[in-house]
This record gives sequence, structure tokens and C-alpha cells, in this order.
Amino acid sequence: MDKILTVCPYCGCGCGLYLHVEDDRIVGVSPCINHPVNRGSLCVKGWNCYEFVHHPDRLKFPMIRKRGTLVRATWDEALDLIARRLTEIKRLYGSDSIGLLSSAKCTNEENYLMMKFARAVVGTNNIDHCARLCHSSTVGGLAAAFGSGAMTNSINEIINARVLFVIGSNTTEQHPMIAMHMLDAVDSGATLIVADPRKTQLAEFAHIHLQHRPGSDVALLMGLMNIIVTEGLVDIDFVKRRTENFDSFLDTLRTFDPAKVEAITGVKIQLLRRVARIYAMEKRSMLFYAMGITQHITGVDNVRALANLVMLTGHIGLPMSGINPLRGQNNVQGACDMGALPNVFSGYQTVTDPRARKKFQNTWRKKLNPKPGLTLMEMMDMAYVGRLKALYVMGENPLLSDPDLGHLEKAMERIDFVVVQDIFPNETMNYADVVLPAASFAEKDGTYTNTERRVQLLQRAISPPGEAKADWEIIVDLATRMGYRMHYRGTYEIMEEIALLTPSYGGILHHRLKEGFGLQWPCPTQDHPGTPYLHRKKFAKGLGTFITVDYIPPDEPPDKEYPFLLTTGRIYFHYHTGTMCRRTVVLEREEPECFVEINPEDADSLGIKNGWPVKVTSRRGSIEVKAKLTGKIPQGTVFIPFHYAEAAVNRLTNPAVDPKAKIPEYKVCAVRIEPLYKMPVVKTPKPPEVELESLRIEE
Amino acid sequence: MKREWILDKNHLSYWLRQLRNQMQLIAPMRDQVGDIVFKQVEHIHKIELNCPSLLPSVKEFFLPQYERLFEYSKKDDRVVDSISKTKRVIFGLRSCDVAALNTLDRFFIDEMPDPYYKSRRENSLLISIVCNNPDPTCFCIGLDTGPYLKQGFDIQLTDLGDRYFVQAESEWAISIIKNYHFLFSRPQKSDYDDQYEVLLSSKARFQKRISLQQSRQLIKSGRIKDSFWQGITSRCFECGGCVYQCPLCTCFTVVDRSYNDTVERARLWDSCLFKGFTRLAGGILPNEERIKRTKRWFFHKLIHYPDVLESFGCVGCGRCTVTCPGRIDMASVCMKLKSIALNGEEITDEG
Repeated sequence: MDKILTVCPYCGCGCGLYLHVEDDRIVGVSPCINHPVNRGSLCVKGWNCYEFVHHPDRLKFPMIRKRGTLVRATWDEALDLIARRLTEIKRLYGSDSIGLLSSAKCTNEENYLMMKFARAVVGTNNIDHCARLCHSSTVGGLAAAFGSGAMTNSINEIINARVLFVIGSNTTEQHPMIAMHMLDAVDSGATLIVADPRKTQLAEFAHIHLQHRPGSDVALLMGLMNIIVTEGLVDIDFVKRRTENFDSFLDTLRTFDPAKVEAITGVKIQLLRRVARIYAMEKRSMLFYAMGITQHITGVDNVRALANLVMLTGHIGLPMSGINPLRGQNNVQGACDMGALPNVFSGYQTVTDPRARKKFQNTWRKKLNPKPGLTLMEMMDMAYVGRLKALYVMGENPLLSDPDLGHLEKAMERIDFVVVQDIFPNETMNYADVVLPAASFAEKDGTYTNTERRVQLLQRAISPPGEAKADWEIIVDLATRMGYRMHYRGTYEIMEEIALLTPSYGGILHHRLKEGFGLQWPCPTQDHPGTPYLHRKKFAKGLGTFITVDYIPPDEPPDKEYPFLLTTGRIYFHYHTGTMCRRTVVLEREEPECFVEINPEDADSLGIKNGWPVKVTSRRGSIEVKAKLTGKIPQGTVFIPFHYAEAAVNRLTNPAVDPKAKIPEYKVCAVRIEPLYKMPVVKTPKPPEVELESLRIEE
Repeated sequence: MKREWILDKNHLSYWLRQLRNQMQLIAPMRDQVGDIVFKQVEHIHKIELNCPSLLPSVKEFFLPQYERLFEYSKKDDRVVDSISKTKRVIFGLRSCDVAALNTLDRFFIDEMPDPYYKSRRENSLLISIVCNNPDPTCFCIGLDTGPYLKQGFDIQLTDLGDRYFVQAESEWAISIIKNYHFLFSRPQKSDYDDQYEVLLSSKARFQKRISLQQSRQLIKSGRIKDSFWQGITSRCFECGGCVYQCPLCTCFTVVDRSYNDTVERARLWDSCLFKGFTRLAGGILPNEERIKRTKRWFFHKLIHYPDVLESFGCVGCGRCTVTCPGRIDMASVCMKLKSIALNGEEITDEG
């Protein structure tokens, strides 16, 4: 039995774990005791992450759709077909009629190659991935304010913080190992403030829990900042020396007096004051946020408001002091860093910048398209009107993860040629013309970048099933067939090319990563030890910018016809579209069915009991789920997880997007709830009258 | 039958090399990031003999996390049993794990023999080492499961600096030593004195003193209110780590997997801390409230195990202390119970 150190394939924590290998099969998992993130612990998903690898459903052979059904093909047939069709479509309709979806589940090397494939081989900037749906507002919002959109601190700093302000993150369930550090900090005396409409497990430990209305985050944060300004808690030195544009921001801020904020958010003024004072007066204050902030039509504004808050109080640029977006996927940070986005190359070098473009052109020896491409949601809109002719999907499942699935299904039908490259069959595959089997995390090597910017090495433990290949090998082969020769001896050579072209990854090479637990970017040179916290002494872009934001109510507030506010998210035992966790025995058994969380009082007024089936309807569709009565959710709000294909909540969600980041508003839409089952009125028949005395047995 | 010898440290690698020729050799190895893992030995000189940090449990070699039980071939209409008969020698495990295996034997072999466990157990030779330097998380000293064992081991080594004091108990173990009799010598009076000194100094190095007996009595006295367990439960992350790491936890689930031409039945680790573990037909969850599950885990180890198997369901290895993200492991909970015992009744209501 051998044990191979690798990185967990689930969330952005990036825990270190060992895969136990016997006869080319994984027989177990154990946590890494010295790893700075998990320190010998794992969450339930980590403990069970080995199991799906050998699941019988794994895709083992390439498949081509013939007369409506997918049939087995050879690699040559499949790749030649893709190469021929893509070249054809490119010639007929132009490069920009092709869209590519990269994956936050794939390694940095693979995302880089996919980006290179899109830009140098296909010749389009239409490349995007699921970060569009989770943290695109962070990437945009923090980049405008500071020049860099990532977690500014490290996870192992949390334990020494004095104040933890967590907003819009169900940390114990979604980033359990980060929550472990948070609880340790609370145990050693830190103050925990949680802002979340739901009473999450973390909120039980909070010294103050703000239950503001979903979608009122900007108002809440502006209210806090207003109090900080009026009570003279601003770090004036910091604002003067390191930021700009404070005065114009102040004018808007003055309009958010606490009374107005209380009316919008439903949070008492006294609580606002306490939070503002606690957060501003302690220097070692860390701010955390996740999807509760970003998945709104005001996602970018929410992030900007948070950025303003940390600049106002000077809580940035020091250890234990900063703003920390918690990234959802194991490599969503890396996929963004690698430029799997329509407007930037790797390292956030914009495609419109002639100097950056020239650098990439020289290295790749290919003329590059200067026009920023389409985002994920825009690609689907273009497909709907028939202007996107081909779509290449690597390791994603948009047919379950994107909002308003009804619309999306029609859009997918109108695309001429769809390629899906994945490890398991998924919903998107119903529209695929070619399916390519990929290798899972245990069957390839490469690097993942976790939420604290730590680039970690993934080690191959076993060989892939059937004819499956690592994603990077597939892209290399395909590019060569399309007339652009790519050749790498291994992923380490791809990493070298990334280091050459990406300043923040300049010193990150595989042989350096082998020695410890990876390196945190920015790491510009080969002797650089990595950067545990960002914006030391100056912001990445020089001066931090206060960006004025204003409160905009959610796009679809509840009304008479649709009286409930629906918010969506993940649950502890499942993960995203469930391709992996729903094929894991223990995880699937824990939560086999979709449910809607509803407040008992609301349920009572609708005549719903715990466990009853209900129909949830929005303006876009309806699903049937079981009701789960819980006091964790406030009245008027309901929650449905989005993992379940059989009851896909994204049939209901609103496709309205943030105008800047194009992130859809998953967290707020209006729904109606009807019970599907009514308690039958049973007439109990009268029991026949029997004379009991006659039944007595005589002794 | 207990026999004693002295093994010169210089002869250890030769002995292990000879054993490896006959069997699979498993030993603790340090990897590039400083973790110690039990795995198959490639380079004998790299075996970690003085582990200053925590060792993983060897439970996985007897009850693997994923174990194929049998395979049914659809084509031949035949069932092939996948019972493991690999001969193994596990070197370098500690007394707590040997004690745990002895208790597991009672569970898996005595009443209703589990052939898979039994076969793995019978084909494994355990060479345990007395702990000279217990970890800060260890508390086996109060439980008679460490730092050394008086009985119940195959071969037990005590590090005396330049030599090992070797004790062997089982017949297989004695025959293996006798095969290499030229490596071993008779112990002198001074060796016994040195060994006793090592045991004494090891005992003095424990940082934790935990009495499970006291916790058991306190729980049985009925003084611990549910509010206490509610406080413990609210910190549970439901990761199952304590169960997976515990050398005495035996929860498993069974699954059938249908491949193209075979069907495989496998058993894999599960945890009673998950609500679905006790899911009944019809989808009823008798233990949906988390407090019931946390309570059961502690009660099982502190109340049920001693009642049925006459020893606690805990050997004091401290692995749950390391792995529990909510810090509600056996040691911490017993410490909390102890403070209740010391501070009297009125504390209990506050939890």
C-alpha cells in the first residue's frame, strides 16, 4: 500500500490529504497532519473523496452522436471530428461564433492550455468558466478598488485575529476547515460577527448575528460605514496616505443614515452601532464573504462596499487584517488566475492592452484577437438567437448550474456543435455531439490554487479508467490536429510557460512546490518565498480607490402573486451539480432528496407539514420538493439547494445579472408555494360493539 | 508463554529485510512534508523509529476504508471471494493500537466471526514499540493500554538506546525470532533495570491525565443534563473524522456496484454520527437530531463498551483530539465532565 499526498478536489480550502493506493485502486483517504489549512482534519466530503473515482458511471471511451444516440468511437475519430467541425465553423461564421467553457475543477495547467487553445488556436476570447457564477463580482470589484481580486490574508492567520466579520458565508458547511480556524479564534477570545439572513451553524457562535433582508447588503454596509464616519472611527491617516476618491464617496455615504438603513435591512440601529464600533476599533479585524455577497445583481456593488469598509478602517495590508473572499471550487482561484475569462490573459493582463497582447503573441507565435469575448451568460444569449455555432465544455455542467434552465435548454438546442469533456455523464451531455472522457484529480498531475492563493501540487496516484485521458493531453492533441503544434513533456513544462508569461506566478515551478505545501502568489521570482498577505505598504494598483455605490433593491422582490423570497445555495453533504458527491454512497445517503427550507409559521399558514411534498413556482418554472420546516430561516424567505437535477432549483432562478460582472442573481427571486398533498379527512368507522364479557376465557 | 531477548539496534534492519522477503512490510515512514504515514516499506533505512509526532491508526489494514468483499462475474455466473490473505508484518505501531486490535478481536471474531477481518488479522504480525516519548495528546496511561503492554502483543520492542528489549508472546512471533536466533541474545539483569527505567520515564512524560471511569460514573449518575450535550453538539461539524480515525470504531456500510461484466460488493467506512446511518425503510430518521448522535457516540464508548466488552471503547490514542475540527473529542469532553465533577451540580445546568 502506498500513500500519495495530494489536494482535495472539493472546495476552495485546498486541504492536503493522502490517497491510499493498492493495486492501482484507491482504497482510502487520510488527512495531512502538518498541512497549514486542515492540520489533520477533513470534512465529510474530503474523507469520502476517493470513492467516486472508481464509480461504474465513469466515462471510459470517447463517444460521437450518431442518429441521435451517443456511440463509442476511437480517440482519432472523435478528435478529428472536433478539429474538422471547429475549423469549418470558424471558416463559415468566424472565430467568435465559437464559445469555450473552461473549468474550475481542472488544474492551472489545463486552464492555461484551454485559454491558449481558445485564443491562439480558435482565435476567440469567448472563454469563461463557472467563476462567472460565483466570484466574478469579486474579481471585478476588488480589482477596481485594490488592483487584485483575491483573499488578502492566509488561513492560518485567522486564529490570531481579534474580530471576525463573516457576511454571506455559511462557513461551517461550505468551507469547514476555515470555520475550524474561526472557532479556534473564538475560543481564544476573538469576537465573531455574522451577517446572514439564515441562522447558520456559525451564527450560533456569533457574538452578534445580523439577520438582514436578502439583497440589502449594500445598505447594511453603507449604514455601518456611516456610523463609523459619524462616530469618528475612521482611520484618517490610512485614508489620506493610501487611498483616493474618499470625498466623493463621502457624499453618498451621508445619505445612508442609520434610520434609513434600519428600514431597508430590518436590522436594529443599536446592533448596527455595536457592530460598527467593534469592527472599526479593533485593529486585527478580518472580513470574510462568499456567495451571499456576490450572487446578486448588485454583486459588484456589494464587493465595492466591503472594499470601502476595509479602507475606511485601515483594516488591510497587515497580517490578520484584510478582506477575504472565500472561493468555492478547489481551483476557481487558479482558473481565474490562468485567464479562463473573456477579458484577460493569465495573471489578469487585459486582452485590450497592446503590450500584454504583444507578449503573448510573441510567445505563442500567433496573432491574437483584441476584442474581449462573451461571458458565460452572454454566450447562452447568443446561442438562443442562433449566433453561437459551437460550444466546447470542459468539466462543467451549465445545464444544472446556470439560472433559468428552461431558457438555457432552448439555447443549447440551437447550437450546431457541442463538445463535452468530463469524468461523469451529466445533464449537459444530452446536447453533446462529441463526448470526451477525462481523468479525475487522482489520475493526473498539475497544480491547484486554493482560496488563500496557495498553489499546490497534485500528484497522480492511479491510472485513468478505460481510455480516459488528462484534460491537458486532450487539448494538446486537439490543438495539434487543428494545425497548431503544442508539445509538452509533462505538466511541469506547461507551468514553466505560465511562469514565463504571468508575473504573479513567475517563481512558481513544480520542483519548488514539491518541497512543502506550495507557494502563495504573488511569487515573482524563483527565490521568492511567496506572499502570505497582500497589499503590504501599498495596494497592487498604488492607491486604493473608494468607489461610490448606491443601494438598488433586488430585481425580483416578492409580491402578491409570488409572496416568498427564494434564496439558493449549497448544503454540507453535497457539492455543486452533484456529479461527484451524488455518486458517493455516504454523501448521497445523507441527503438523497431536494428540499425547501421554510419557516414553521409560514408553513402553518400554508397548511404544510414537515416532509410534505410542495410545488414551488416562479415566473420561469416550477419544481416539486419536500418541505423542511426549520426556524433557521426567517419568515417570508425559503431556501432550496441547487445540487439536485431531478428538482433543479435553477428552473426557478432569475437570470437577471449584475451589469458589470454579469453574475446572475441566484440569491433572490420571488416564488409561490403550494402544498401538493392535503391531509385527507378520514372518517374513522365505529368499532363493532362487542360484549367484552363474552370474550373472557374462563380458567 | 512470554519470552524475552535483546536485539542490537544494528541488527534491526537486517532482521526487517529478512522479514520483508517473506511478507509485506508495513512501517511508519516520514514523507517530504514531515507527516508520518504507515505504508509499504521500500527503503528500510527510511523507517521512522522515533516518531515524535502522531502516528496514524493501523485500523485500515484490518478494516480498510474501502474493501471489496466479493465479485460476481456476469459472464461465468460465478462469485469470487476477495478475502485478503496477504501476509503482512506491521512494524512500529504503538501499544494503544495493539490494545485496540485486541478489543476489536472480541467484536469481530468472538461472537460472529467476520471472515474478512479474521483473515487479515491472522495473516498479520504486529511488532509494536513502547512509547518513550508520548505525544501531548496521548492519554493511554490511565487506561492500561499504553505506553507499554503487559500482555496481548505479538512482539514488543523497548528502545534502550543502543539495543532493543524484545518481548514475544504469540507462537508465530516466537518462531520468527527463533528463525533468526543468531541476531538475538539473552537479556542480562542490567537490561531489565534499563527497561524498567524507560517505562518509568515514559510514564512521567504524559501531559494529560484523563479518567474515563470518572466520566462514566458521572454520566451514569444522571447529573449531566442535555444542555451539556447540546453545547458539545453545536460544535460538531459532522465530518465523521473521529469515527474514521478511532482505532475502535467499526461503523461500515455495504454497497453493490455494477460494472460492465461484474458486480462488486464492497464495504466502506461509515459513521454513526450521520443521520442517514440509521435511516429506516420509509425514510424515517430516528436520530435526526444531532444531539442524539453525539450523545450516542460518547455513550457507546463510555457506557456500552465496558458493559459488553469489559473495556472502554477508547484506548487514549488522542487521534480524535487532532482530527476533530470542533474540538469536541473524547479528551476535551472528559475534561469538561471532570470540571463539572469538581465544581459541583450547579455548573451542569449551564453546560
